[in-house]
Amino acid sequence: MLAPATPAGDEVQQSLYAKRQKIYPREVHGLFAVLRISAVLTLLGIFYGLPWLRWNGHQAVLFDLPARKFHLFGLTLWPQDFILLAALLIIAALGLFFFTALAGRLWCGYACPQTVWTEVFLWMEHALEGDRLQQMKLDKSPMTWRKFRIKASKHALWLAFSAFTGFTFVAYFTPVADLLHRLVTLDLGPWETFWLVFYGFATYGNAGWMREQVCLYMCPYARFQSAMFDDSTLIISYDDKRGEPRGSRKRGTDSLRAGLGDCIDCSMCVQVCPTGIDIRKGLQYECIGCAACIDACNDVMDKMGYAPGLIRYTTHNALRGRPSSILRPRLFVYGGLLSAAIAAFAWILLARVPLELEVMHDRNRLYRETDAGLIENVYTLDIVNMDDRRHAYTLRAEGIEGLIVETDPPEIEADAGEMKKIPMRLRADGARLSGRSNKVRLLLTARDDPRLTASEETRFLGP
Amino acid sequence: MKLIEAGRYVPVPQRVIAVLWISFLMAGAATMVFFAAIDPMQLKNCVDFPEVGRTAAYSIGFLLFWLLTAASSLFTTLLLYPGAPANAPDNSSRPSR
Ligand code: SF4
Ligand code: SF4
Repeated sequence: MLAPATPAGDEVQQSLYAKRQKIYPREVHGLFAVLRISAVLTLLGIFYGLPWLRWNGHQAVLFDLPARKFHLFGLTLWPQDFILLAALLIIAALGLFFFTALAGRLWCGYACPQTVWTEVFLWMEHALEGDRLQQMKLDKSPMTWRKFRIKASKHALWLAFSAFTGFTFVAYFTPVADLLHRLVTLDLGPWETFWLVFYGFATYGNAGWMREQVCLYMCPYARFQSAMFDDSTLIISYDDKRGEPRGSRKRGTDSLRAGLGDCIDCSMCVQVCPTGIDIRKGLQYECIGCAACIDACNDVMDKMGYAPGLIRYTTHNALRGRPSSILRPRLFVYGGLLSAAIAAFAWILLARVPLELEVMHDRNRLYRETDAGLIENVYTLDIVNMDDRRHAYTLRAEGIEGLIVETDPPEIEADAGEMKKIPMRLRADGARLSGRSNKVRLLLTARDDPRLTASEETRFLGP
Repeated sequence: MKLIEAGRYVPVPQRVIAVLWISFLMAGAATMVFFAAIDPMQLKNCVDFPEVGRTAAYSIGFLLFWLLTAASSLFTTLLLYPGAPANAPDNSSRPSR
């Protein structure tokens, strides 16, 4: 189980806002570093690349808020499709539960935007300021022209990257080519400018300055994720039975004979930790599960000629020598709910008919008798073609025998995404009516695709 | 009452960030739900609203939601930390909790 804030954690917390100790994570190499870097590059590639992707002559992913339409590749979503978004959020939440129960804070270590952007900002820092020791030395040294130059160029690089990030963010809501054009001609709208600057500064502040403090003090997930944990959750742990008693020694020493455990107390695992904790003290809420300490310690074990895995993904049960099964009820419950949510989402998406029909009876006159002696009611149709193509439609009315439908224009057509108001008259023989108010069903069907059918009920009024 | 017992003094900047950040997330969710259901252009017909476009209406709506949720979070923290804590060095005259 997750230990409560350790005394060390308290110290950090108390000193934090008075004088925060900057953490200089040492660079790591190894299996998990490769995984993390691949995740970072993939996610950033998607984030920065997606707005530039085109699909059927429009931006592939565009949340066109002014027009109240979301374009997702071949799909156009309308406010009416909000349930899809809700389902998507439920899937995301359940997915988070599932993966947390399975292997702890996978999200934090590999996919969280805070991790991803911090990683990139660390790369930039490393490129300009050098490695961990050089950075510490630079920060301690008095301000010189050289130090000023390095710091200024670092912040300039960070700011430029943040500005690009802010621009990309806004490009999800405004067509990117148009946005770029108006940016270079200094013709951005006030709100676009506001969000560009807002998101840019949030990136700069969070990834450049706040870093692990976001995880420690701002992230709600960090606090409630322990509720999804149990003793069979895969977590990153130090094997204290194998490691203790720790102590330094010469390379090639046989731990057993020296009366020592396998931990050589080199503190590499602490130096690489982005949140500055010592995993050997047990699982702490500060640990974001980045696995940097695994890579670092495996490297040390390798150099010492010991087996890897002194720090590794394992379960609490396994560490305590208890039988543990990763497949357990909690996982099946989360997994079942997750599959159900995904199935529901898919079903809603497939059953979705991108056509909407609404019928409004004329408010001023209930009915009228025509010269030919028929009863006539007047309506307005609201038609929304939510599909990506133009369609022609046929309109039918059911419910009264011999009902005559007449629209103006007689041919109903609508472009992709078009909303139309169309006047409609229904005529019926008074003798066929069953009363003052008669139920009528209208069916609108696309000529080229009978699955595109919308139906709506209304009333036909008579004497 | 575990919550209050555990609640030790939290530095002001951390409180400010906690209030602003969580309310930011909630305001985002509220804005999404609200404007998915309601088109600001239609809202304008009912209320006498200054002439603004949809983007501006969304942004203003978001900022108003944020104000609301931040106020709620702020009052919650005020109730959880009634005044300065009894163990603050400059506040020894107050009765302890
Ligand atoms: S990196 Fe491994 S050997 Fe070195 S201090 Fe950490 S646990 Fe011990
Ligand atoms: S303890 Fe290890 S896994 Fe946890 S944050 Fe630190 S380096 Fe990453």
